[in-house]
Amino acid sequence: MNVILNGKEFLLDKKISLNNFLITHNINTNNIVVEINGSIITKSLWDEYVLKENDKIEIVTAVGGG
Amino acid sequence: MSFLLNKKTYNSRLIIGSGKYKSFKQTKKALDASGAEIITVAIKRTNLGQETTQENLLDYINPNDYKILPNTAGCYSAKDAIRVSLLARELLGDSLLKLEVLADKDTLLPNENETFVAAKELVKLGFSIMVYTTDNIKLAKDLEEVGCISVMPLASPIGTGQGIVKPENIKKIIKNAKVPIIIDAGIGTASDATIAMEMGCDGVLLNSAIAMSDNPILMAEAMKYAVISGRKAFEAKRMGISDSAIPSSNKKDAIS
Repeated sequence: MNVILNGKEFLLDKKISLNNFLITHNINTNNIVVEINGSIITKSLWDEYVLKENDKIEIVTAVGGG
Repeated sequence: MSFLLNKKTYNSRLIIGSGKYKSFKQTKKALDASGAEIITVAIKRTNLGQETTQENLLDYINPNDYKILPNTAGCYSAKDAIRVSLLARELLGDSLLKLEVLADKDTLLPNENETFVAAKELVKLGFSIMVYTTDNIKLAKDLEEVGCISVMPLASPIGTGQGIVKPENIKKIIKNAKVPIIIDAGIGTASDATIAMEMGCDGVLLNSAIAMSDNPILMAEAMKYAVISGRKAFEAKRMGISDSAIPSSNKKDAIS
């Protein structure tokens, strides 16, 4: 199963929750927002959200900017 | 000296951007030297493959100590700006937002139509919008009328440091406004910020003028005083300008 994370393809060999996906990919979960297929997934739902084929995941944070 | 923005009183009328600094440490030092209480951040994709220990800007600038003003930098359509706004609200748990919708990558000028469309929609969605715009007098008023809490016309294009190129337009925008007018973009050095404040702007938002100077910490401090000076001069109401010289001392007690 493939998902797309910030524009890059990732191959998943089994069903996995969003939360576990973030942990296994070493993503710092402080100060981030996750959007899947255009909808924001609130942090409290990361555990119950199971990734699906072709999910388009965007992880954003605050960076320097004027 | 203080001013009211979105029902909150701020002591500093200077807002600084967090871009282009050498490090987060330098950003924090400049922020402290500037005395600013509001700092803008951009909302972007995280770097993938980063270590969980990698620092984040928000680790350095604590949202409990400063007002973090997220912006929609990098958006060229109302649709994208609305999407980024929703992400920013989720990230920071606050509806205050700097709306910035650009026309193209070369000029970095605001896209007037898309900015207006996005502003209208975001106000409906409950956002408190501080809107980056051109020095178009009519549009500035229209943005206020759709419910933006502050209108932020440019002095000159982003990153140019040219100062205020059309002071007459900015003066008219200020005269027409019932919301705070904050000069955003194009400030090059301290005197530009002072001029903006002397004109009656409620505040100044700048980034490159500090970050791209040789000594950002020193320039941050210069900007702090420039804004204070300009505001005090505005409140003091300057003397008139005369065509002929007028002596400073009283004529009647002259020795000869």
